[in-house]
Amino acid sequence: MSSAPIPSLIAEATNPIIRWEWVVEEWDQVWDAIVEHLILTMLAMLMGLVVSAILAAIALRFRWTMTPITATTSLIYTLPSVALFALLAPVFGNLSRWTAVLPLAAYTLLILVTNIVAGFQAVPASVRDAADGMGMSPMRRVWSVDLPLAVPYILTGIRIAAVSTVGLVTVAAIIGQGGLGRLIFSGLRRAFWTPMTVGASLSIALALVIDALIILVGLWLVPWQRRRKAATR
Amino acid sequence: MEQSGWSQMGDVAIRLENVTKSFDGASGAAVDNLSLDIENGSIIALLGPSGCGKTTTLRMINRLIEPTSGKIEINGVDVMSQSPQELRRGIGYVIQQVGLFPHRTIASNIATVPKMLGWDKSRSAERVEELTTLVGLDHEMLDRYPDELSGGQQQRVGVARALAADPPVLLMDEPFGAVDPIVRGRLQDELLALQTQVSKTIVLVTHDVDEALRVADKIALMNVGGVIEQLATPDELMRAPANDFVRSFVGEDRGLRRLALNAVSALRFHQGPVVSADATFDEAEHAMALEGSDWLGITIDEIFAGWARADDVRAARANGTELRDVERFEPIAQVEPTSTLRAAMELIMSSNSSVAVINDGGRFGGVITLEDIRRALSSADIETADGTA
Amino acid sequence: MIGAMAAARPSQTAVPRDIGFFEWFFDPDTWTGPDGILASLVDTVVLCAAVTLVAVAVSVPTAALLAHLRRAEVSSTWLVSISRAVPTFAIAALLVPWSLERGWGFEPWPIFIALFLLAVVPIYLNTYTAIRQQPEGTVEAARALGYSERSILTKVEFALASSLILAGIRVAAIQVVATEPIRAFLGGDGLGRYVRDGFGQNNNTLVIGGIVLIGGLAALTGLTFVALERLVLPNGVRRLARQQGDKTP
Repeated sequence: MSSAPIPSLIAEATNPIIRWEWVVEEWDQVWDAIVEHLILTMLAMLMGLVVSAILAAIALRFRWTMTPITATTSLIYTLPSVALFALLAPVFGNLSRWTAVLPLAAYTLLILVTNIVAGFQAVPASVRDAADGMGMSPMRRVWSVDLPLAVPYILTGIRIAAVSTVGLVTVAAIIGQGGLGRLIFSGLRRAFWTPMTVGASLSIALALVIDALIILVGLWLVPWQRRRKAATR
Repeated sequence: MEQSGWSQMGDVAIRLENVTKSFDGASGAAVDNLSLDIENGSIIALLGPSGCGKTTTLRMINRLIEPTSGKIEINGVDVMSQSPQELRRGIGYVIQQVGLFPHRTIASNIATVPKMLGWDKSRSAERVEELTTLVGLDHEMLDRYPDELSGGQQQRVGVARALAADPPVLLMDEPFGAVDPIVRGRLQDELLALQTQVSKTIVLVTHDVDEALRVADKIALMNVGGVIEQLATPDELMRAPANDFVRSFVGEDRGLRRLALNAVSALRFHQGPVVSADATFDEAEHAMALEGSDWLGITIDEIFAGWARADDVRAARANGTELRDVERFEPIAQVEPTSTLRAAMELIMSSNSSVAVINDGGRFGGVITLEDIRRALSSADIETADGTA
Repeated sequence: MIGAMAAARPSQTAVPRDIGFFEWFFDPDTWTGPDGILASLVDTVVLCAAVTLVAVAVSVPTAALLAHLRRAEVSSTWLVSISRAVPTFAIAALLVPWSLERGWGFEPWPIFIALFLLAVVPIYLNTYTAIRQQPEGTVEAARALGYSERSILTKVEFALASSLILAGIRVAAIQVVATEPIRAFLGGDGLGRYVRDGFGQNNNTLVIGGIVLIGGLAALTGLTFVALERLVLPNGVRRLARQQGDKTP
């Protein structure tokens, strides 16, 4: 590995991992970073969901489009985040949120489309047939039968997408957008570890909290999976 | 039992007229020019091998499949004259995998069509309770979810759900195929019991000959292309198959199957070698000689009291003992008027006697021999097990 | 001190601001030397390869063993759910002060460990699934024929699983290569340095160059593995894997 550590820096490393007083003092900064981080995550998720819903609808209606859509979204997924952010920076400018939101949303497409499609395909054919046979109009059936049954899959997709987006938002700091990522960088730039530690651990914590929240929402929305099967005849 | 199929004879609930269905890319028509009248209040089975078009035919009745040509009428009304949704809300539909909504409770599942029709909550709830009792489901199940119920219970819910809005017509597609034979038999019996109470026009698709024989008033035996090879009552189908296809589909053991379809009560009364305890020895000898029997049956006050050996009877006569005091043996082979001929035959064969005694509510109802059974099956006028001709 | 850190970084590229991309890219000087593209390329490749190899060495035997013994189902399921969510950047950033504290400097441990965690997940998951999903019949037949347990694992289960496992390694390698550039922003080098320096010096050529190099390497990695899979695996195995539903992108 190339860059040898600078002696002065090593000396500075007596700098504690985290200085709590700083956290208290600079709480405003930290809080702003958290909020910014959340806003970026939610904007990206929203955009990702809208686009994914459209793509999923197309893939479900026109089966042949599933392969090209999957291929494209997975290709996007493998684009290095640093490169993608850097690529879009000159397009929207460093000060715009959209420079970050666009690639972040793009990264969610693969998992969201895959899960939405899987969710609707998992609705048992017999349930659909019974619903049609009882006289439900197609719209009504999709809304009151297909959709609720697809929810577990969709929520799983949202959960994974949200958590990975939180992680990627930190990388967006390289172009100046990034909530907690900016804390990390400001710390790094000044060789002051506290903001770095705080930024990094908060982003991990945020991801875990969002994960837990979505799981809870899932449990609340899907009561029929909570019960166990009775063995009576 | 209300013989609804016959009291409204000529009352056609469903009429299929020259119905044809061809699918794109398939070589022949799935259903080719089918015409069929289904009587109001009867159960008709569409029976046939897979690929014969029976399910396609069923699904054309509620327009889940649209016919390529032809007309279908329900109670005189063309099915094309309404929207498919309106039509289907007036028809009950039960399928093999049931298709209960996993995300709704049993009660909510049953109330689906009423809710779509705009019934108010209390009326729906009442109806749900009613139906739960009707199909023999524990009311406790109403708040559970489908995956908590067994296969048999689920199918009962399926039937309840289909009957919720009290449709005059019920379509069933292999409804009991997904449960084990014991539960299947129970559900079939319950369907028959249900029919005595609700009297619907039921179209039942099945590939199971026994199911059709057991449940249906009429059977339409179909061949590939939706061709009806024979339309007949179960007994007629067994007794007089129209052609080789019917013969081979129904199976080699038609005779045996008919045994299961008919009851002891269908036979003409046969006294057999049985006399009253008050009879004379001459009459006793005469009865035994007539039947060529080594045993004498003795009744006391019209109740069958046992069998006596011919030798013992003659010995009694010789030494002055009363007929009624001759040593008697309990009859092993006894049947009731409602027992099937099959059960009677089984009993005769396994109990090492040549006659079975008919026990009609305690009274002596005659005897059965294998010859009686054979003679009855070969005659044309026999009543079916449930008493209808 | 802050200025000292910025200025004393030997990895800064000194490039005139208004140089055109192609001019820069095709200048031999750009490629040679300790700050050259070649050096950075080697730097990146070495790190990524090392991470992948160690991840393979750790995950494959572990997953294979656990799958064969039918253990650890629950933790594997849990791994699936967090599989796309390893926050590599945050982990690496968190490890930097720790690494510096121990006198190890900015590199290689923070980025190595973070990338290692990233790589482990797809490799472990695919290996576990591949061996776990073996049709019972095949394993039973092998046992009945008298194969030892170890032989079953190596000769039967492994051969059938190799396609899925290789696919998992491919996914891991691509993800590692795609994520590695963050290293340049955490006090390190590698191909990401061009983007970093390009931003720092407001030099678009450097940025574009960085993007091209990073993207190119990611694509190359993918292609290499596809070729590798084609070479190493017999046709029947690949077709079987596709049937078993190898859905890795």
